[in-house]
Amino acid sequence: MFAEGLFIAFAVLSVLGAIGLILFRHPMNGAMSLVVTMISLAGLYALLSAKLIFVLQLIVYAGAIMSLVLFIIMFLNIQDSDLPEETGRFYYLLGGVIAIMPIAFFLIKIVKSLPDSETTIVGNGFGGVKEVGLVLFQDWLLPFEIVSILLLVALIGAVVLAGKRRVSQ
Amino acid sequence: MIHDYLILSIILFCLGILGVVSRRNVFTVFMSVELMLNAANLAFLTFSRLHENMDGHVLAMMVMAVAAAEAALALAVVILLHRHKSKLDTNVFSLLKG
Repeated sequence: MFAEGLFIAFAVLSVLGAIGLILFRHPMNGAMSLVVTMISLAGLYALLSAKLIFVLQLIVYAGAIMSLVLFIIMFLNIQDSDLPEETGRFYYLLGGVIAIMPIAFFLIKIVKSLPDSETTIVGNGFGGVKEVGLVLFQDWLLPFEIVSILLLVALIGAVVLAGKRRVSQ
Repeated sequence: MIHDYLILSIILFCLGILGVVSRRNVFTVFMSVELMLNAANLAFLTFSRLHENMDGHVLAMMVMAVAAAEAALALAVVILLHRHKSKLDTNVFSLLKG
């Protein structure tokens, strides 16, 4: 009962944050409401007894990635005049809702046909650092190494793209 | 309860698609993509909990790493474009249009 109440609270918070993200005009407000979504998703991960991913969501997503985005938004010093006009965004939103609605209902129909089960908290032996680490370094070693190469490429690419200095200007 | 988690994941993913479709601000489009990645993560962890299998957790970690790489590259591109055009409008960034 307590877990269900927590689920409803986190679900409502995350959906409200997502709606705020797509409705706020200034990207700073959107980023703050996305942080709300990320933190409530971390709570949902904890309810799914994914302890390591819960911590990683808080540190990596809500901590590192979103603070990077906020830093860049503040770094560019966006005024109200820099923002695009977006006069027709509600029409686009309406059209998008009409286009997506059938797909969403189809997916929900598929989900309803899956077997349901309770999500009681699983104690030891599920979702901790040790168990995830064992799976990661036994079954997923090659994808792990490929991800490390991907991160290296992204690092070099970001330095090359953003660190360029124009002498002529 | 598993159904509720999956439906929440579908709702968040659809909201992310709506953000990409309806907005023209580069930052909002980028953060909507992040929202879609988060929704996929929630689905991974829910199925992982349903089958009591750890593989979904590893995949969620991979998604986080890809999102970090994407954030670094996308923000570098945004800084570069803002330096060239001093605009944040995706309609202005149509350099590849023939």
